[in-house]
Amino acid sequence: MISSLKFKVIIMKKDENKLTSSLFIVPYLIMFVVFLIFPLAYGAYISMHEWSLIGGKGEFVGLANYMEILFSDGTSSNIFMNGLINTLIFVVLSVPALVVLALILALLLNSLPKRIQPFFRTVYFIPYSISVSIIAVIWLWMLDTNSGLVNQFLGNFGIGPIPWLTDTNYAWFSLVLATLWWTVGFNMIILINALNEVSEELYEAGSIDGASPWQKFVHITMPSIRPIMLFVVVTTTIASFNVYGQPYLMTRGGPGTSTEVLLMGIVRQAFELRDVGVASAMAVIMTLIIICISALQFKFLRNKEGV
Amino acid sequence: MKKLYLLFTLVLALVLSACGNSGTPEEGAESSEGSAATGGDASTVKLYAPFSGPDGENMKQIVEDYNGSQEETQVDLQIVPQTDYYTTLDLTLSGGGEGDQPDLMVMHGDQIQTYVENGSLQEVAPLLDGDLNEEDYHEKALTGAEHEGTLYGIPFDIHPLMYFWNKDLVEEAGYEPDFVPADRDEFVEMTQAVSDLGDDKHGFVVPTLWPQQFIFPTIVYQNGGQLIADGEVQYTSPEVTEAAQFLHDLIYEHQVSPTNVQQDGELTLFLQGSNAVMLNGPWMMNQLEESGLNYGVAPVPMLGTEQEAVFANSHNFVLPTTVEDEAKMTAIKDFLGYVAENSMEWAESGQAPAAKAVYESEEFQDMEFQSNVAEQFDYVQFAPEVADWGPVSDPLFQNLNEVLLDEKEVEPAMEDAQQASQSSLE
Repeated sequence: MISSLKFKVIIMKKDENKLTSSLFIVPYLIMFVVFLIFPLAYGAYISMHEWSLIGGKGEFVGLANYMEILFSDGTSSNIFMNGLINTLIFVVLSVPALVVLALILALLLNSLPKRIQPFFRTVYFIPYSISVSIIAVIWLWMLDTNSGLVNQFLGNFGIGPIPWLTDTNYAWFSLVLATLWWTVGFNMIILINALNEVSEELYEAGSIDGASPWQKFVHITMPSIRPIMLFVVVTTTIASFNVYGQPYLMTRGGPGTSTEVLLMGIVRQAFELRDVGVASAMAVIMTLIIICISALQFKFLRNKEGV
Repeated sequence: MKKLYLLFTLVLALVLSACGNSGTPEEGAESSEGSAATGGDASTVKLYAPFSGPDGENMKQIVEDYNGSQEETQVDLQIVPQTDYYTTLDLTLSGGGEGDQPDLMVMHGDQIQTYVENGSLQEVAPLLDGDLNEEDYHEKALTGAEHEGTLYGIPFDIHPLMYFWNKDLVEEAGYEPDFVPADRDEFVEMTQAVSDLGDDKHGFVVPTLWPQQFIFPTIVYQNGGQLIADGEVQYTSPEVTEAAQFLHDLIYEHQVSPTNVQQDGELTLFLQGSNAVMLNGPWMMNQLEESGLNYGVAPVPMLGTEQEAVFANSHNFVLPTTVEDEAKMTAIKDFLGYVAENSMEWAESGQAPAAKAVYESEEFQDMEFQSNVAEQFDYVQFAPEVADWGPVSDPLFQNLNEVLLDEKEVEPAMEDAQQASQSSLE
């Protein structure tokens, strides 16, 4: 009698647990569907129609919008191709810098005395919490060719004036620099946590075997933090693909259109040309490209790990 | 069990708070409808405007004064930030919620063509019936609100390009502090004199991006040229290429401007007191007043070769096609009549109202800044009469940007721009 009662209680508890855990998932699931799945599907639906911001839905055109973007020589195709190339340039320049510098900062910070670590962690993380419009204005002022702080400082050494934002090569450098300052703290925090997770015993064992600091880094640290590295690389790539605020505010896509990125083009197509159909098609292609690149990164970094 | 209770309470709280949130705007809407109900629905005019800067306060004041001045009509002013303004209009006009449709909108002159062509605007002739007349406004302001000869907007203001100068710098260069050049030669001579003062002094810092959208057309029109004529893009015409060459020469030949001027670079230098001349709009007034600079303002001098002209945009009141109700029309007319007589408050924002009752008044003429803005009314030129002037003209200003950064020659740049603008026009 007593045992069957116990059994009942256990079953009830199990059910309760299931109910409890599903309840915890429900809010996220609702958000996920309402704010991610639905807009994605709706975007794909719009992309297969003639759809003007003001006229609303037009006729179904199948893949014609995609064809126009990829295979025609029209305005929207130029906007897309130019934007895609410029976005890829930004990704290639910014992602390695954001990951490597974050790792260096994390290693440096971890070797600091425990008492002053929180201070530097905060210092490097603060910019991440500032809005991009403020970041852009700060750098716009600092990098001003003719009146900015940076060029005035360099002028003391007889260097410059350097056209930080009006020459294509320097402009890319400046955009990456501003992005680094803005977001490197986020990657750094994640990597610091990863470093702290690495078991001390491994390092002790390494020391006993006479490993140099470099050997410890290559053979102990890197393999241990690889899963987190994968996460950092993938999220940074996605974030860099979505670059918008920095070039929009700092260079206005200039000189000419040489720093006009994909999102600027999509926004132009959607809200200036009021062509939501083609703009959505652009967004869908961009999403597919991001998914492909992320998949490649997963494959590449996982294989190395041997999982 | 206790845990489960806790969870239920939590979920309940969440659900309730969500309801509470979604309830708030509804309540807000109800209360505004409630105030409408007291005066009857037709007597509430929903007005949309893009004035999210300091000028929003002036607009609010006008509306408040009007609402307090009479009993019949209440204007419900909705200010939408400039950057989202036209997107918001697009969405509400193409079938937003019932109560959200505007009855009256403030619209830039260069947007009217677009909205007429997509069928969102009706002509304003029914509003002009004796109490409100075309003659109440400056003639040029009316042409800026026309599309193929039909009037689609009641003018509110005209904002042309203006000439700002630093009196101290001009004096330092050996001129009277109030000196304004009469023609291109005097302009180049004076700005060179300022640039000769030293490496950190500039006669006229030439912007490479905004506000070239106002400066470049001004010189083109002063050259007697056109940007688009009869549906044909004119960028390769001698008047247009000459304007581009002149701006390029100011930087690289006359050297009155530093090279590599970035976004707002000319403004930064002007505010620092090392740029003598800035061409910008009347909307700069508040910022310049706050800077404490010893500056002057004047109509843009002759920088072209042929005729007096200045590029301008305008604010107009436009009627969506959805407004049909007689009583509502009467209410709108009453409000616009009030604005025509009482928009001195708008002048306080630095703008020059286009209503004669205001800009011809003594009070207005005594305002040094604003009266200079209105002085240019007679010869303003607006954007070409095409839909989507913004995106159509993008290639022009992108190529001009490269010319002014010395990355592209004038001729090929204007040819590229011509081709791109022409194809987006078609």
